[in-house]
Amino acid sequence: MAAGVAAWLPFARAAAIGWMPVASTPMPIPPQEKTKGKDGLIILNVSGTKFQTWRTTLERYPDTLLGSTERDFFFHEETNEYFFDRDPDIFRHILNFFRTGKLHYPRQECIAAYDEELAFFGIIPEIIGDCCYEEYKDRRRENAERLQDDEEMDMSNDAPPVNLTYREFLWRAFENPHTSTLALVFYYVTGFFIAISVMANVVETVPCGVLPNRSKEMSCGDRYALAFFCLDTACVMIFTVEYLLRLIAAPSRYKFMKSVMSVIDVVAIMPYYIGLVMTDNDQVSGAFVTLRVFRVFRIFKFSRHSAGLRILGYTLKSCASELGFLLFSLTMAIIIFATVMFYAEKGSTASKFTSIPAAFWYTIVTMTTLGYGDMVPKTIVGKVFGSICSLSGVLVIALPVPVIVSNFSRIYHQSQRAEKRRAQRKARLGKIRAAKIRGTNVYMRYKQNGLLINSLEEASKEAGRALVAKAPSPPFESQHNHLLHCLEKTTNHEFVDEQTFQANCMEISVMNKSGSRASSLSSSPHGLSSCCSRRHRKKSSFSLPSTNNQELSTIQIRERPVANSRSSLNAKLDETVPLKCDKPYITPSMVSLSAPVVTSSDGHGSITTAAYSQSNIVRVSAL
Amino acid sequence: MKAKNRDQSLSDSRELDGSYDQLTDSVEDDFELSTVCHRPESMDKLQEQTKFTKKELQVLYRGFKNECPSGAVNEENFKIIYSQFFPQGDSSMYAHFLFEAFDTNKNGSVSFEDFVFGLSIILRGTINDRLNWAFNLYDLNKDGCITKEEMLDIMKSIYDMMGKYTYPTMQDDVPREHVESFFQKMDRNKDGVVTIEEFIETCKKDENIMQSMQLFDNVI
Repeated sequence: MAAGVAAWLPFARAAAIGWMPVASTPMPIPPQEKTKGKDGLIILNVSGTKFQTWRTTLERYPDTLLGSTERDFFFHEETNEYFFDRDPDIFRHILNFFRTGKLHYPRQECIAAYDEELAFFGIIPEIIGDCCYEEYKDRRRENAERLQDDEEMDMSNDAPPVNLTYREFLWRAFENPHTSTLALVFYYVTGFFIAISVMANVVETVPCGVLPNRSKEMSCGDRYALAFFCLDTACVMIFTVEYLLRLIAAPSRYKFMKSVMSVIDVVAIMPYYIGLVMTDNDQVSGAFVTLRVFRVFRIFKFSRHSAGLRILGYTLKSCASELGFLLFSLTMAIIIFATVMFYAEKGSTASKFTSIPAAFWYTIVTMTTLGYGDMVPKTIVGKVFGSICSLSGVLVIALPVPVIVSNFSRIYHQSQRAEKRRAQRKARLGKIRAAKIRGTNVYMRYKQNGLLINSLEEASKEAGRALVAKAPSPPFESQHNHLLHCLEKTTNHEFVDEQTFQANCMEISVMNKSGSRASSLSSSPHGLSSCCSRRHRKKSSFSLPSTNNQELSTIQIRERPVANSRSSLNAKLDETVPLKCDKPYITPSMVSLSAPVVTSSDGHGSITTAAYSQSNIVRVSAL
Repeated sequence: MKAKNRDQSLSDSRELDGSYDQLTDSVEDDFELSTVCHRPESMDKLQEQTKFTKKELQVLYRGFKNECPSGAVNEENFKIIYSQFFPQGDSSMYAHFLFEAFDTNKNGSVSFEDFVFGLSIILRGTINDRLNWAFNLYDLNKDGCITKEEMLDIMKSIYDMMGKYTYPTMQDDVPREHVESFFQKMDRNKDGVVTIEEFIETCKKDENIMQSMQLFDNVI
């Protein structure tokens, strides 16, 4: 909450003087100060290193170990100091958090040790300042991944679970060839056949010598057509069987069919089948020949066998924009120079530069410093521009390539970091917002508790029962709550949280301003006027001791559902407050989410934690 | 590829990863630190001039210095500090009025002396002093009387602090009505303005206000 500026609270309370003359209703009673001389130095001895700070500094954050009564457990009588058997180096940062309100993460510390210390002292890591938060999250993620990798390695080395279905077993065998011998054999066999198929495609086109009854040389493919055909058939059969098996075993067939590898598989085997159904027609044979080109895609099937290929493909995909830009700039340069060369060589006779597109070839060959020599300029102007083209080619192509390489690696890392930051920010903002909401709920609970405690105290005195010891509330919290209470009184409006506000907007019509106390206590009342009147009446005359007692006993006995009875006791907008009591509150400084009410008003927490039936230390001490 | 200077590449890379905020300028601007440092007068002198004890002054100064290491707080910081106490609403307008009231020498910053003088009046002053201070806060143009417009501004700033989520829902004319009732109570001669005498007189007669003034005795 405003604990970071706790020292300015007196100022904020003094500034409330501006509300006083304006308010039409009396102000609530301020919280009573305990002994004023409590602002002393506290000595914290952490494994021998002594730290000292003001008591009020620590009490700014009552949700932490040091700020709450939990530190009493570490009080050492003989030396009159608080002793902690923890790491003093990390403690330094934790203490700085109390002093400055900002938590920093030291880069040289181990992330796991740091997390442990934070958890011990009850500080949630989300409040780490922006300066250190990214580093912290990165280290944490690395650590988690490392642990996860270790776990996975362990897992994959274990014996496979016995009761897999046949389908799952098949899929596992395909994805992880090392799981069983059969899978490994299959893996190598398919790899072998891919290699054979690719080699056959290549060797098919080699000229194989002359047959006696033909005049020109034949390629091996034509000479041993049958052999190659049988080889091709065998390979395609293997690939088809593999593809069908994968399709059957895939947990999500639709996803499998969409994946790149399956597309490659299909493209690799389709030409064969299309060739089967096609007749030896001249018209379609041209198309058929084109289809055979696709057989070379079988080489991409190797990417299942090689992780490096996969990584290359992924990086090319992620670097696409940079490559696109390079291509674009190259195209611009090519067009410019081709145009210039064409017009420069237009005059010369028998010029090969017949058109600008024809000059593209020359430009590309020159700019990449290939220089085939099949097209050369003949005029002087042409040669001049040709040399300019070749020089600029060196610049245009050679310079950006290393830049692209480094650019690509930088962008790669950067986009990953940006994604991370975005995701982190959403989560952080969510938690911080929840803490803010919790802040207002602290205040509202303070209001209800304040009255509850007062009435119950009176009731207990009447009944002659000593209820609970009222633990001292942190002065900062109660004063801040009183301040907000004064503002409410000044403006005659009350703070509510977002949900309640929405609910109220809808319930406006249903609001009835009945003043009947008895009914309103048991049922769900509405109307601010009745609440306020009841509150005033509660303050002045506690005329419902019996009901209070009864309610109290039910509170003590019952567990979760007690929230309802408590709400009926305090009525008014409790009904509409959707009792976020049920949800654990996330506070900026509390790791254990199970004690939401401890922070609001410790003295009142005793009753309410009983109501919430969430186990924590406070309840034990209260009851 | 065009040549980029450092700023350009910095901003480009920031654009690339999507974290660049168009509103802020380049990083270099933030490096200019204000080197103005203000030291308060000695504690003895402050003790004479205010009604705080030494210990209270110490506590106050420690808190002050923590938030404003340079020794004086400007309006921006003032608003930020004050807004932390009212997370639900918008307290900037009221903080502005407070700043005007604390900054007695109108130099745009509140030093520790201004701070402590103001607090001394509010927390340790007589009823008259406090009422005077409150009147000074309301009188925005310091002409000795509060008009309805001034009061409306103050009232709106107070209601703004409540924020949106209130019960009952905040209607738009609530501040105005509140101002009307305030003037009905305070403006004795019905001349449309409240003078300091009317203000003090009415406040002294109002039991609620007198009682609430007692609240400030125990703040520190």
